[in-house]
Amino acid sequence: MSKSFTVTIQRQDDPHSPKYSESFEIPYEPGLNMTTVLQRIAATPVTSDNKSSTPVAYDSCCLEEICGACTMVINGRVRQACSALIDNVLEESAGAIDVKPMSKFPVVRDLVVNRKAMFESLKRVKAWVKVDGYHDLGSGPRVSPHEQEDAYPLSKCMTCGCCVEACPQFNDKSPFIGPAAVSQAILFNANPTGKIDRDERLEVLAGPGGIADCGNSQNCVKVCPKDIPLTDSIAKAGRDTTLYKFRQFFGR
Amino acid sequence: MAHPTESVSLQDKNYFLVRRLHSLLGLVPVGAFLCVHLLTNATILAPGEAGGEFQKSIERIHALGPLLVPVEVVFIFLPLLFHSLLGFQIVFNSQSNAQQYRYGSNLRYTAQRTTGILAFLFIFYHIWQMHWFGKPVGGGAFELHGAAGAATGAMTTAVAIQQAWWIAPVYAIGVLSCVFHLANGLWTSLITWGITIRPESQRVAGYVCAAFGLVLAIAGMGALSGFRTFDVKSPPPVVTDGHADVTSHGH
Ligand code: HEM
Ligand code: HEM
Ligand code: SF4
Ligand code: SF4
Ligand code: FES
Repeated sequence: MSKSFTVTIQRQDDPHSPKYSESFEIPYEPGLNMTTVLQRIAATPVTSDNKSSTPVAYDSCCLEEICGACTMVINGRVRQACSALIDNVLEESAGAIDVKPMSKFPVVRDLVVNRKAMFESLKRVKAWVKVDGYHDLGSGPRVSPHEQEDAYPLSKCMTCGCCVEACPQFNDKSPFIGPAAVSQAILFNANPTGKIDRDERLEVLAGPGGIADCGNSQNCVKVCPKDIPLTDSIAKAGRDTTLYKFRQFFGR
Repeated sequence: MAHPTESVSLQDKNYFLVRRLHSLLGLVPVGAFLCVHLLTNATILAPGEAGGEFQKSIERIHALGPLLVPVEVVFIFLPLLFHSLLGFQIVFNSQSNAQQYRYGSNLRYTAQRTTGILAFLFIFYHIWQMHWFGKPVGGGAFELHGAAGAATGAMTTAVAIQQAWWIAPVYAIGVLSCVFHLANGLWTSLITWGITIRPESQRVAGYVCAAFGLVLAIAGMGALSGFRTFDVKSPPPVVTDGHADVTSHGH
């Protein structure tokens, strides 16, 4: 008899219909990941109690933990399906896997969520470098290797939503923009060209939903798949907003 | 509240200031008061005349006379009230997930909120019980020179704490909640104000804050055991002119 394991998935047909749960029995193979499991279910969508069902909707794109599209909550921990190796996941919970969509975003269908809130937060903090046209502006300002070393880790963010999902301060009752946007504001404030919008970013960080809404639980830094030093960015945002408000108060 | 939208927008306009004030007031004066208060109470353990050292420190504070109440209101009660009310708002707007993500820092995050609420309940009860503010509503046990000049402040405090078996345990929970809340709050405030930025400096600050909390917890628990075991049945010290005799013993 070949080994198999059970995957229980929280499903929802569309944004307005109720949640329900379905279990699937998957034959074990070494080297599976969560996305391949979802592909197996799509190939034969038959539940554990032998009812015919529909393929489970999920997002994916890069399949190598680069795009963040496949983020979901597996065994209570938020992570990417494509890099969640079933061998490791099964070790956490012998023989059964529990899969849910992220809880902080509206569900589109099954495991697909709408992460619009994160992109709105990025817009609020102007997480970009301004250019005033498409003509050739020549080479940009020089950036020291030291500055590059600080900036590179922050630039790896893929807006996947893990940090926000695990953040107790990011919820319906709070206006918090979330750790990813705070970190991106710090990244672009450090950029020699991005600096131009520095005060506007600090103004947003000092306002409602800004850095004051972080409660220092530090979950974000622990769940970030890109090992982004989010708590460094958070503390820097605390320091920079303090100094900014002091400068503003004393008329700089 | 009569105009919820108005009050929200007023807070939104001064969002940063209000939240930084919350942090600052938690440290000074409220946190500073907690340190001084617990260390003062711990003098109950000082050698010599029972409660003598404690009596002296209490009298030093009460030497403020008519200024005492305004000082208490401005430097203790109002800052505490501001910090508490905003604290409750922060608690209600958070969504603790310590069950799901059991990291140490996340457990401390949840504990900061729980101990804040416990501290509020305890301080409310404690002021009712000890401070003369509580007299009209059945509390107000602490008397500087004791009822009818028969006992010392230490004596009345001890009597209040020994009244029932559950009071000392309630005090233990209250004191430890306040101490954890201050020590952990000190650690988070260093991040809030951007003083500790890197994980290494936050780790070192963690040890320092833990040591600080431990010292304060020992002082608080020491004070509590001092009052709990204080002999309230022995004859009260001789009283002259309404002043307990203990004050003249040191000479
Ligand atoms: C070992 C435990 C404690 C003992 C024996 C104790 C004792 C007392 C006494 C005797 C008073 C009345 C002083 C007076 O009216 O002059 C008092 C007041 C007060 N206590 Fe405590 N206390 C303890 C712990 C705490 C804790 C943990 C807090 C938390 C912040 C606290 C907050 C206060 C406040 C706010 C007042 C009123 C302000 C004042 O009178 O200065 N106490 N305490
Ligand atoms: C013994 C009296 C108290 C002291 C000494 C105290 C002190 C502090 C300190 C130093 C902080 C850290 C601020 C920061 O991270 O920047 C803090 C945070 C906090 N306090 Fe208190 N506090 C007291 C009572 C209370 C009460 C009664 C509540 C009511 C629930 C409360 C709720 C909170 C909350 C929710 C936070 C977290 C704030 C945040 O994450 O931004 N505290 N407190
Ligand atoms: S900071 Fe990390 S966890 Fe958060 S969105 Fe970016 S990559 Fe994902
Ligand atoms: S440290 Fe702040 S931003 Fe990060 S998870 Fe905790 S509350 Fe959220
Ligand atoms: S598919 Fe891109 S991160 Fe998983």
